Amino acid sequence: MLASVERKVALFLFVFSFAYLVFTFNLPPFPYAIVDADALPKGLGFLLAALSILLFIQNPVHDRKKSNMKKDEVLMLLAVAGLIFVYILLFELLGFVVVTILFLLVTSRLLGYTKWKSLIAVAVGFTLVLYFSFNYLLQIYLPQGILPF
Amino acid sequence: MKKRKSMFMSLLLGSALVMSACGSSESSSSSSADGGEWSPTKPIEMIAPAGAGGGWDTTARTISKVMEKENVIDKRMAVANKPGGGGAVGWSYVDKKGGDHTLFVTSPPILFVPLNGQSDLGHNDFTPIAGVIADYSAFTVPANSPYDSMNDLVEALKEDPTSVSVVGDSSPGSMDHMAFVKAVKAAGVDIKQLKYVSAQDGSGMSMLLGNKVDVYSTGLAEATEQARAGKVKVLAVTSPEPLEGETVSEFPTLKEQGIDDEFIVWRGIMGPKDMSAEARAFYEQAVKDMMETDEWKAQRDNFGWNDNFMSGEEFQAFLDQEKETMESLLKEVGLAK
Amino acid sequence: MDTISNMLYGFQVVLTFQNILFVFIGVLAGTLIGMLPGLGPISAIAIMIPLSYGMDPASALILMAGVYYGAVFGGSTSSILLNAPGISGTVATSFDGYPLAKQGMAGKALAIAAISSFAGGTVSVVALMLVAPLMASFAVSFGPTEYFALMLLGLTAIASLSEGSTVKALISATIGLIIATIGVDQQTGTQRFTFGSPNLLEGIDFLIIALGLFALAEVCSLILSRKSKMMGGNTNVGSLKITKKEAKDISGPIARHSVLGFILGVLPGAGATIASFMSYITEKKISKDPSSFGKGNIKGLAAPETSNNAATSGAFVPLLTLGIPGSGTTAVLLGALLVVGVQPGPLMLTDHPDVFWGVIASMYLGNIFLLVLNLPLIPFIARILYIPKALLISLVIIFCMIGVYGVSFSTFDLYLLLAFGIIGFIMRLINFPAAPLILAFILGGMMEQSFRQALTISNGSYMTFFDSTVTVVLLVLSVLSLTLPFIKSKLSKKKEEEEKEHLAS
Repeated sequence: MLASVERKVALFLFVFSFAYLVFTFNLPPFPYAIVDADALPKGLGFLLAALSILLFIQNPVHDRKKSNMKKDEVLMLLAVAGLIFVYILLFELLGFVVVTILFLLVTSRLLGYTKWKSLIAVAVGFTLVLYFSFNYLLQIYLPQGILPF
Repeated sequence: MKKRKSMFMSLLLGSALVMSACGSSESSSSSSADGGEWSPTKPIEMIAPAGAGGGWDTTARTISKVMEKENVIDKRMAVANKPGGGGAVGWSYVDKKGGDHTLFVTSPPILFVPLNGQSDLGHNDFTPIAGVIADYSAFTVPANSPYDSMNDLVEALKEDPTSVSVVGDSSPGSMDHMAFVKAVKAAGVDIKQLKYVSAQDGSGMSMLLGNKVDVYSTGLAEATEQARAGKVKVLAVTSPEPLEGETVSEFPTLKEQGIDDEFIVWRGIMGPKDMSAEARAFYEQAVKDMMETDEWKAQRDNFGWNDNFMSGEEFQAFLDQEKETMESLLKEVGLAK
Repeated sequence: MDTISNMLYGFQVVLTFQNILFVFIGVLAGTLIGMLPGLGPISAIAIMIPLSYGMDPASALILMAGVYYGAVFGGSTSSILLNAPGISGTVATSFDGYPLAKQGMAGKALAIAAISSFAGGTVSVVALMLVAPLMASFAVSFGPTEYFALMLLGLTAIASLSEGSTVKALISATIGLIIATIGVDQQTGTQRFTFGSPNLLEGIDFLIIALGLFALAEVCSLILSRKSKMMGGNTNVGSLKITKKEAKDISGPIARHSVLGFILGVLPGAGATIASFMSYITEKKISKDPSSFGKGNIKGLAAPETSNNAATSGAFVPLLTLGIPGSGTTAVLLGALLVVGVQPGPLMLTDHPDVFWGVIASMYLGNIFLLVLNLPLIPFIARILYIPKALLISLVIIFCMIGVYGVSFSTFDLYLLLAFGIIGFIMRLINFPAAPLILAFILGGMMEQSFRQALTISNGSYMTFFDSTVTVVLLVLSVLSLTLPFIKSKLSKKKEEEEKEHLAS
């Protein structure tokens, strides 16, 4: 009764290609170009629109494969994505060492790693080794943040 | 977990070996810069607004190394790369950071990129500290090219501007392009019709050697060795005076060929807008001191750079004037935003 | 005979205690840097540059070249074990390497990668030694039209990268091309789809997309399957055993792609990443069993691994004979030469034969070091897969973050990485292949620019694409690559029908 996943994707891609085309037609022209900057994007926009229509036609209504993802699994994925987002947010603010240790502790625990002692040892050891090899040996500076070193 | 750790221990060890093999450059001990009252109170951050390995990066790392090794400044000077947007990302970083302990290496793109509408920040949003080195552009053609002098090329361009294709490594409206545009405009060519091909993956020289294009507008260093090997002819260099040196002295300047023009690819150091006058004076003096050291002179010669010290004030005035020239040129070729 | 005396001279340069040590340090540091996801050899070499001042030029280049090919050698490790490409040249390695690791054959996959890398590296050094000066003119024979045709040939293979739906593969590829249009247009300076963000002006970095679509998307899959405790399971993942049949199977691809990789490496516009992709799709195209590619086919692992290492030596041809950088990394190596007082250019061979022949000789030694270093390490490194998944997942995430931050130093790119991870996972859910996207991205940008460069030079005349034999040949091959599968399937149908008729009569 519902459209197949492919059809939903096809609709989304069609809308996307339309929006993309709107942008391509608003690209400023360059007076002396033989092939201007908007030529390829325009072509790609139309191509994507055509392909999405093809995808829509090729995949009639019935669902061939049921999604086998449970709700709590989806929540877990969202939680990890959220943690990564927070990690990036605090990355330069608190510095690499602090956020990385926190991230490793929280994420590993969330995913079901229960051995606290080895977890703390790994999180701290891994982070510090990485930080010092980057900042002092490779001279690639990871953010120092609130720590004095 | 042991395995993982041992992997990183070996990384540690490997890098340690590399470092010790190349001679560590950590420095300490007393200061030699006599800048007066102000002196840095914490490590200085030297921003290269580009990725590792480019011109800005090399300049920043060389300056920082000489500063540390010769104890010009007794604080650590760490180079940090902030690539992106042709410099715009790095500039915006410096602007936000502010203060007296952040510097960055800069060159003509700080004029071009804002003029091309790709950055809100321009040279007036920063504190010029000192000009350091100068390089020049060279216009090269293949060895078998029908053009033997800049005037041959200008004649051809005057007849039909679309008959000559020019390649450069920078984007249209930036250095390699505008250096050429400026020169042929001074010679009286209609610059609107010029054909410029941008080869930003660095394939310009290969296109020239493969006879795919007619002219390659590039830096002097890239052209010199190819000219010495007889693979290319250098039609002109953009230096105001003839250059000194083994091969470069044979390159005619624009002025020698009756074209009243020059183009300096300068590099210098700037700081954030809100940098204190004392700090600015300190760094200006430090750059001057650094350029006196033998270490600097040796490095400079290896890279083929020319000293071009300008005080902060001279630097500012120079930039203002350059900007004006470039703006009117860019407007004429339809690239000013 | 000249070559032999030159090589003897080269080995004379290398076989001093100091230079052997430099080769060793170089390849060791390179291999380790290559193993870290994302981080490539460029940063490491750039950092060594100011430190190398005052060093003997040959020693300096021997050291830095070691970092370069060492990184390409080591880059396969994280591609295979974690689906996180160590460097951009080893993205294609993960296509079949990671499935092998998931099937409990990590040790074997790493061993095949090491052997292919060694073979590719060594064969191409021989080629470098024998034909470098001859290849110099080949390197510059490729201009915009030739590169356009070459990239087009690569793109036509996209349909063959699809598993199942061709339309889905084409949509993936189109999106890859669309992503490649983000940033300042190189030919006109027009900002395309940057939405005023300076972070997007230079476009999106290849590695961000690769790490997101492959490594982070895989992390999502790992999260879903985390209850099965370890990736290694109970098998001995460290086993290096390769059967005779397998050895025979990979000898063909190794031979083919040593040559192809070297040739593509010589071209300044191509390089290791494009070479590895081209080799992968070529191998799949000529395979009798293309459907097994992407599911742990050892040929699909050997081909890109041979090719990227062969291309790395190939990249030294334009660098050493013409002083032209063929890639980002060789451009940095050029800078390194300046610091030690060597002017890179066509005269380097006559002015500094010790650098030229020394570096070539050092590559023989370096490749042997790499093999000897890597093979015994494999059983230990493969044990990473014994780390409980819950912990491994968070460590892989951190690796990807540092890999991206260590190159761009911007949290903006980290958000992008996360976004591509999510996109990659969604694509998996709805069965859209990621490989066409990444291939189209890497070939598309260059194809567009070459096309427009060519037309600018020719004042808009399309005849320029028929002026060069190489271009015409490549274009014909592209057309064949597109149409042959159709013709083939039609022919075989006809044959079947004929046979049926024959039987009936």
